[in-house]
Amino acid sequence: MNLHRRLHTLAAIASLGALAFSPPGHAQITPPVKAVASFSILGDLVRQVGGERVEVDTLVGPGADAHVFQPAPSHARKVGQAQVVFANGLGFEGWMQRLLETAGFKGKPVVVSEGIKPLRAEGDKHHHSGKNPARSEHHHGDTDPHAWQAVPNVITYIGNISKGLCAADAAGCDLYRKNAAAYTTQLQALDAEIKAAWAVVPPAQRKLITSHDAFGYYAKAYGVMFLAAQGVSTDSEASAKGVAQLVRQIKKEQIKALFVESVADPRLIEQIGRETGIKPAGALYSDALTDASGPASTYLAMMRANTQAMTRAVQGK
Amino acid sequence: MIAPDTAVLGPFIEFGFMRSALFGCVALSLSAAPVGVFLMLRRMSLMGDAMAHAILPGAAIGYLLFGLSLAAMTVGGIIAGLAVAIGSGLVARNTLIREDTSLAAFYLLSLSLGVLIVSVRGNSVDLLHVLFGTVLALDTAALALLWGITGVTVATLLVIRRPLILDCLDPDFLRQVSGLGALAHYGFLALLVINLVAGFHALGTLMAVGIMVLPAAAARFWVRRVGPLIGAATTIALLASVAGLLVSYHADWPTSPVIVLGLGLVYLLSMVFAPRGVLRQRSVRRSHLRA
Amino acid sequence: MPDLRHSTPQTAAASPVCLVVRNLTLGYDGHPAVHHLDLRIAPGSLVAVVGPNGAGKSTLFKGLCGELAPLSGSISGLEAVRPAWLPQTSTLDPGFPVTVWEMVAMGLWQQVGALGRFTAEHRRRCDAALAAVGLSGFALRGLDTLSGGQLQRARFARLLLQDAPVVLLDEPFAAIDQRTTEDLLALLHRWQAAGRTVIAVLHDLQQVRAHFPLTLVLAREPIAWGPTSEVLTEANWSRALAMREPFDERAGVCEQAPSAASAVPGRAISDLEAV
Repeated sequence: MNLHRRLHTLAAIASLGALAFSPPGHAQITPPVKAVASFSILGDLVRQVGGERVEVDTLVGPGADAHVFQPAPSHARKVGQAQVVFANGLGFEGWMQRLLETAGFKGKPVVVSEGIKPLRAEGDKHHHSGKNPARSEHHHGDTDPHAWQAVPNVITYIGNISKGLCAADAAGCDLYRKNAAAYTTQLQALDAEIKAAWAVVPPAQRKLITSHDAFGYYAKAYGVMFLAAQGVSTDSEASAKGVAQLVRQIKKEQIKALFVESVADPRLIEQIGRETGIKPAGALYSDALTDASGPASTYLAMMRANTQAMTRAVQGK
Repeated sequence: MIAPDTAVLGPFIEFGFMRSALFGCVALSLSAAPVGVFLMLRRMSLMGDAMAHAILPGAAIGYLLFGLSLAAMTVGGIIAGLAVAIGSGLVARNTLIREDTSLAAFYLLSLSLGVLIVSVRGNSVDLLHVLFGTVLALDTAALALLWGITGVTVATLLVIRRPLILDCLDPDFLRQVSGLGALAHYGFLALLVINLVAGFHALGTLMAVGIMVLPAAAARFWVRRVGPLIGAATTIALLASVAGLLVSYHADWPTSPVIVLGLGLVYLLSMVFAPRGVLRQRSVRRSHLRA
Repeated sequence: MPDLRHSTPQTAAASPVCLVVRNLTLGYDGHPAVHHLDLRIAPGSLVAVVGPNGAGKSTLFKGLCGELAPLSGSISGLEAVRPAWLPQTSTLDPGFPVTVWEMVAMGLWQQVGALGRFTAEHRRRCDAALAAVGLSGFALRGLDTLSGGQLQRARFARLLLQDAPVVLLDEPFAAIDQRTTEDLLALLHRWQAAGRTVIAVLHDLQQVRAHFPLTLVLAREPIAWGPTSEVLTEANWSRALAMREPFDERAGVCEQAPSAASAVPGRAISDLEAV
């Protein structure tokens, strides 16, 4: 009897202690936990880890462009009511800091790309023509933010998301860890799948043209070469030489795959296609998921869709 | 070393997109430069930039109804531009509000309406950016549009040239002898709008307005009368476009800003060195005529 | 001096119509600026209109040109012809890059229109008009190189080319040098001799006495109308000056019967002929 009582007391003291040491308010959260993710891909990942215990709101929705995102009052409201905020980091959300201040969010956002080895932005020609400078909150600087294009990075993301949710809601920690582990298994399978898909393509053929410098991480992880005309991206001005060089390269290396990113200006890509005789091969999804009815409504679906489209295009199918 | 003729002709021989760009620049020079001369004579040079914002609700409504269709958005933009141009013209001619205030009022109304429509729709796709293209991406349809606009502009200017000039020179006199003054004015506004919208669509906002306003301003320092002004402005626009394309090609700089900077450079040099520029006007003549 | 009398078939001599104004009231916002005016001007008259500031003289011209619709009354005799009108304030932009010839040639608008070509005959008439105002040799000069007096001559030349049977001149000699004024007055006499009706608003009463056979003294209401020597008297002038310049904001509706303004000294209106 004494031992039981002592254990009970110890347990009681331990819980009290845990209560005392955890950040005020967080230990008492009742589900669902309110979380806000900056963009759709991140939203999907947080949902995978949080399950039914977490209610996820996304700021930049499906099909929208995070580069030119302008937060509205409703976004500030969502952030104000959130218990945890997730951001990609690496300079992707130039508008985040101001939004958090405006919404009065206490605490810091969980930066899911922590721990990843960042790549330099490809070609560093992500200019903003100043057509509408007030709207261009997208500052790459020298870093390429699209780290989610390599599956191993997303495994790190999941780890950070799980930690972030645990910190905000200790009671659900077990659930989060379980979900994270399960999803990580799926991610590892995806990674292997992608590698296998590219294995059948001869290295010399692994070349693609796309209009946005979004696939640097994918290129490194899976041994694929992406070419983009310098400055041929969402909101910068094209130079004649850049386009000419790209055309020459396509012709020289006989590149067959030409992609138009879903949120970029397709006209320049089409012009290049006309010049080289290649038919543009549809869209790659780089910065956003599609809505529920589209082919890239989750991260896994997006990566599979992209990979399938790419491998088919380079093989001339 | 590259031979000079290869440097100049080479890019156009080798690349179809360079030829298209050249073709488009020629069309725009022939069309926008004369419009720019009249714009300058009528003291409306700042109108171009105001129009760029005024067309937004038209493009937004086109997008709402037809999605990301460039045709729909261009037509919508033209309608909105015409409504603003003609509406502000009507107010300026018939009430006590003057031209500049009238235009400012209308374009602000128009712009805020456009922003509201776009925001309410919830999609943060940058409409204005999608509407504005680049000279390097001109396809057959865009070229047809540009040359069509040129044809319409040249024909219209030939017809309204005299009333337009007289409307600047002595509007009361024109009103005495003819009722064509108002018609010429609105016709000119319509030309301005279609040249701007087509220019935005094909070439981006910077270049569309730049190629209208700068050649006319530079030409002022070379010649005096209206006919020669039009000729000089067109020539300057043509030369600057070609030079800009070549510099963009060889120096790897973005095309539109290079062309417009080239035009700006011509303007500054003309201001200083041209026959009616600062240096020549101030220089002391060594001898004068007997009478 | 070129003889303009037979230069074109459309001179006033070919279409002699009286300009008749009946009980004319013109005004702004309901306030009369010209009040119950009756007038009958025979073709080929040279008429001066005098009066204090705000007497409605420029307003009368606006009404005659059709710029201002009458509040009551009518104007007849101008249906088939458009008067040529030189307003008091000119909207001519002298800095505009045209030559003197180009600006003067606009007077031929009725014949050439927006699209017509200038024939040799037109060119001859332009040169003649420039010569008539003493601006030969200025044809190719820029408009911005002319002095005030020369600009006024150019406007007269343009007026000449309009070849209208009725000419309205509002303060044509204000701020013009003596020599130009004399030359232009001589031109007016030649016009009259050619059969045109010339009506001029003037403020220099000496000039009026010296050059204009007929005068209308206007102070919103007609004070006097007739031969200058009879009409331009001290008494009439004092009556004119007694007119209240600003509109009366508290005025009621006007009930005045028509043709009550014929009580003027001098000849009866309907008996007037060209002098």
